[in-house]
This record gives sequence, structure tokens and C-alpha cells, in this order.
Amino acid sequence: MAVVDEREGLLEETPGPKSGTMSRRVTLVAGLGLILLFPLIAIPLFDAYAYVLQVGMLILMWIAMSSSWNIIGGFAGYISLGHGVFFAIGGYTAGLALAHWGISPFLFLPIAGLTAMAVGFLAGLITLRTRGPAFIVATIAMLFLFLLWFDNWEFIGASSGLDLPLFQFPVRWLKVPFYYAMALCAIGAVYLSYRVAHSKFGLGLRAISQDETKAEVAGINTRWYKVWAFALSAFFIGVAGAIYGYSLTHLRPLTFFAIAVAARMVLMAIIGGRGTVAGPVLGAILIIGVNEFAVRQLGESALNIVFTGLILVLALLFFPQGIVGSLRKARRLPAFLDWD
Amino acid sequence: MGHWLQILVLGLLLGGVYAMMASGLTLLFGVMRVVNLAHAAFILIASYLTYALFEGLALDPMISLLVTMPLMFGLGVGLYLLLFPRIEDSPRYVEMTVLLTFGLALIVEGLLTFTFTGIFRSVRPEYAATSVTIGEIFLPTSQLYASLISFALLVLLWVMLRFTKTGTAIRATMQNRAAAQIVGVNVRRISALSFGLGMSLAGAAGSLLSFMFPFFPARHWQWIALLLALIVLGGMGSIKGAVIGALLLAVASAFVTDVIGPTWSPITFYLTLFLILLIRPQGLFGVKVRL
Repeated sequence: MAVVDEREGLLEETPGPKSGTMSRRVTLVAGLGLILLFPLIAIPLFDAYAYVLQVGMLILMWIAMSSSWNIIGGFAGYISLGHGVFFAIGGYTAGLALAHWGISPFLFLPIAGLTAMAVGFLAGLITLRTRGPAFIVATIAMLFLFLLWFDNWEFIGASSGLDLPLFQFPVRWLKVPFYYAMALCAIGAVYLSYRVAHSKFGLGLRAISQDETKAEVAGINTRWYKVWAFALSAFFIGVAGAIYGYSLTHLRPLTFFAIAVAARMVLMAIIGGRGTVAGPVLGAILIIGVNEFAVRQLGESALNIVFTGLILVLALLFFPQGIVGSLRKARRLPAFLDWD
Repeated sequence: MGHWLQILVLGLLLGGVYAMMASGLTLLFGVMRVVNLAHAAFILIASYLTYALFEGLALDPMISLLVTMPLMFGLGVGLYLLLFPRIEDSPRYVEMTVLLTFGLALIVEGLLTFTFTGIFRSVRPEYAATSVTIGEIFLPTSQLYASLISFALLVLLWVMLRFTKTGTAIRATMQNRAAAQIVGVNVRRISALSFGLGMSLAGAAGSLLSFMFPFFPARHWQWIALLLALIVLGGMGSIKGAVIGALLLAVASAFVTDVIGPTWSPITFYLTLFLILLIRPQGLFGVKVRL
């Protein structure tokens, strides 16, 4: 797989402490190996096979979403609660292409991502004229505007939704292509996040997050940095939306626009460590893992959303830097988690 | 002509209630620089409480105001003491408050869904289905009552802020927190008090809304977007601005409902919010604060 090779090559060039490079490379190979071989390892599970792959796909999806959100919300420090919009744009772009032209969403993924990115660029041009809490409020308004539009747009099925034809594949293995598509998406998103973190662009974003005025004085074109960060953060969320929507075979606006979707991206990034590369990945694994366990043990209930809120509040009060941030501060961050 | 006047009056009645809902939110921002995303969720707590009191004890929703207001006051002070001293010194304080209250809103929404399920509820006292006619204008009794109570509470709030010592201290803290502290205002006490005050206004709003609109737990997201639009238009932290913003937008949305249709009336609020944030972030009456 091309993506794998590229990523390994990149790590070799990365300057940094020698010991860290070695252990990071081991993590990388182990992590990628696990992701790619997981559908094979899980075969003996028979009855639970579809479920296990579904959970695996969800974890990968949230890794992609929260890593992408982290580009604007973590690196640049601009908290967006409206990223559900890009999830929806991706899902509906691919869904419409399938429903109207019969193009498989798997082939349409790059276009779904680019469409989300284009919308992100335009939305960024407007919302990023505000700062701090005004920006957060503007992104919420953006989310509701799009929801209202999608809910009343007959062409895409309005609030009752859009039915997609089923993916023709043996039922036993139905989840496998979705899993691999999402794996590709997650690897791409983390790779993007890594590249941003290790670029001049990423350095500029961090400067903006610390003190925007000083960053501007230092010669950073803050406006374009922020708008591009916003647009980039939309790309893989759109791709994830396209895959996820296809796996559901029925697109409804609320599936994508629910405030809980946006809340989760934020929560995962904060729990794991905002503004770090490994943080959102850890956060996604942790939150989805705990959530699936809770749903299996206690059943799906409204208490799920209570826990989401509770964890967010507790994390903000006691743990604002997240796992990676806190460990780094205590100088206890294991090298294999240090991707920055 | 009569038709337009009718819509104007209905808009103003609704605007009165919106004004009270928004005044609590803007007070919190003024005193503590808290953008309380959970304000509408707290309003909803009071609505459900009113619903429970009405179903259980047949208590009139307007009387249950006397229960919800003090209860919400207590909850507000409690929440303040529990949460805010911890984040006061955070370098990203305002942003923290947004995320924190976002988390609170999720908790409240989940607990309400768990307790009362997600279906629509409404409180139907006798006056919910009657109306009063003045000339050729008809006024739904429930909206008339709700509006009158809202204006009465707003006047009370104004008198309190204007003419009492505590009110003066609150206004001083709004203007300049550090300076207020220097002249001997206990800003922590004032902050706790304001939080309680804002929450008790949310309590009153919840009781009044319970017999005006049907509600369900996720409804609060629509309300908070609406309220934010009002206070952003009026200028965050300005109570006068919140009242005027509420009346303006309520009337505007009433006309949009009449001309285009009810589905699109929320767009008045979202678009206003968007445009004001872009064109004049300090709002109509707000002082220019660095957010």
C-alpha cells in the first residue's frame, strides 16, 4: 500500500532524538499491521465478526474525524462546534452521486472530500472573521443553518432522508470493504495531521493559537493560515461521511448534523490532548471503546449522552491538557506516543 | 392593515418572553464573561419541572414560577461554586466556559431524555386554548399572560440593578471587574449571585414556555441558537440590548413566518447571528470587548 510506504519514508527523514525514532517506528509498523490485518485476525469470531468490524470501522472513523478537527481546533486553537456540516456534505455528495448517477461512493471519496473542503474554505472565509467565543457561536449558527437547509431541500429527500442502493457483496464479508475504506481515511487523516504538525504551516497555526496578534506581527498571514486550516480539517471528515453514509444505506440530515457528532470530535481531541498528533487518536480509541462497552453492558440509552457531557466537564476541570499533554508536562510521555 | 398589526402584536408578545429568556444569558456574560451554552437546557429543566408539578399536583404553571425560580437560583449558585473557582485563572477562560457549559448542556439533555423520554410534552392549563379580542386584534391568553409576567420580571430586574446596593455592585462588576474589586466589591459573591439570578430568570422562562410551546429534550439547541442571536444583536452583556434585540427579532420572525412560512422562521435568527458577528460583533448596544 502506497500510503504505508510513504509514511515510513517520512519518519526516517524526521529529525529528532534517535531513541524516539526507533520506538516510534515500531509503533507505526505495529499499528498499521494491526489495522490492516484486523479483518483477518477477527475471522475466528464468526457470529460477532460483523459487529467487531463495525466497531473497528467506527474507531477508525472517529480517529479520522477527531484528528482532522484537531487541525483547526487544536493546532490553531479555534474551537469549531460546526464540523458536523462537513460530515454531512461528504455523506450527501457521495450519496447523491450513487443515487442519481450510479457512481460507487468508494470511487467518489476524493470528490466527497474535496467538496467538503471547498465548503469548508468558504465557511472559513466567513466564520473566521470572528475570534474566541464569537467563533464558537458562529460555527453553531453555521451548523443550524445547514441543518435547516438540508431538512427542507426536497432534492436530497429533506428531513425524511435519501435511500441508497445496497452494496452488492457477500453478506458475511459485507463490512470488510467499508472497514478498509475507513482505514485508508484514518491513515490519511493522521498522516495529514502529522505533516501539518511538522511544517512551517503548523508552526504558524501554533503561533496563532498562542497569541494571534504577535503571530501577525511576526509576519504570518493569519487569515489565510486559519482559512486553510479550516478547509484542510474538512477534507477527511467529508471522506469519512461518504463511507459512513454508504454503510448506513440511508442518509438523514440528523445523522450527520446531530450536535453529539460535533461534540464527540471535540471531546476525543480534548481527552487525548488538543494540539498533539497522537492525542485525538488515543481519545477516539478510548471514547469509542468505553462507549461500545457501556452500550453492550447497559444497552443504548440517553445516559450515553450524559456520560459524554460528564467526561467533557471533568476533563476540562481536572485534565485540560489531555492524556498526551499531561504526560508531556510531567516528562513521562513515552516516546512511542510522541509524534509532535 | 389589521393583518399586519396583528402580526406585529403577536411578535411583540413573543418578544417579551424572549427578552426575559435572553436577559439571564446576557447578565451572565456581562458579569462573568461566561457564554452559557447551557442556558436553554436550564430553561428546559424548569419546563419539565413545571410539567411534573402540573401533572402531579395540578399546579398552575404561572404559580409554579414560585417553585422553579428559587430552585434554579440555588442550582445556579451551587454550579458556580462547584465549577468556576477552578477555571477562573485559566488563560483561556472564556473558551473554557463555552466548552464547560456545552458539556453541562449535554448532561442536562441526557438526564431529561432519560427521565421524561424524548417525546413532545406540553402543559395545557385552561387558558392555553382561549384568546382575548381587542378591536380586531386577537391575543392568545397564554402568550398575553406570559408576556406580562416577563415584562414584570424585567422591570423588577431593572429596579434591582438600578436602585439597590447589590445591583450597583453587579453593574460595577460588569463595567470593570478589577476596579470593582478595588473599591471593595466582593466579586466572587457578586458572580455567584448573578449566576443564581440568571438561572432563576431561566427558571421563570421555563415555566412560561411550558404552556406556550411543546417541548422535548433536544429542543434546547434551537432555543440557545435563538437566544444567542438575540443577545449578539443587542450587544453581549447589555440587558437593554437583549430586550430590544428580542423584540426586533421576534417581530421579524413573525413576519417571516407569515410571508414565507413557519419552517423558515428560524432562519431569521441564524442569519442575524451570522451577519451581526461579521459586521458588528459588538452588537447594537454592546461595548467593544475583546472576545
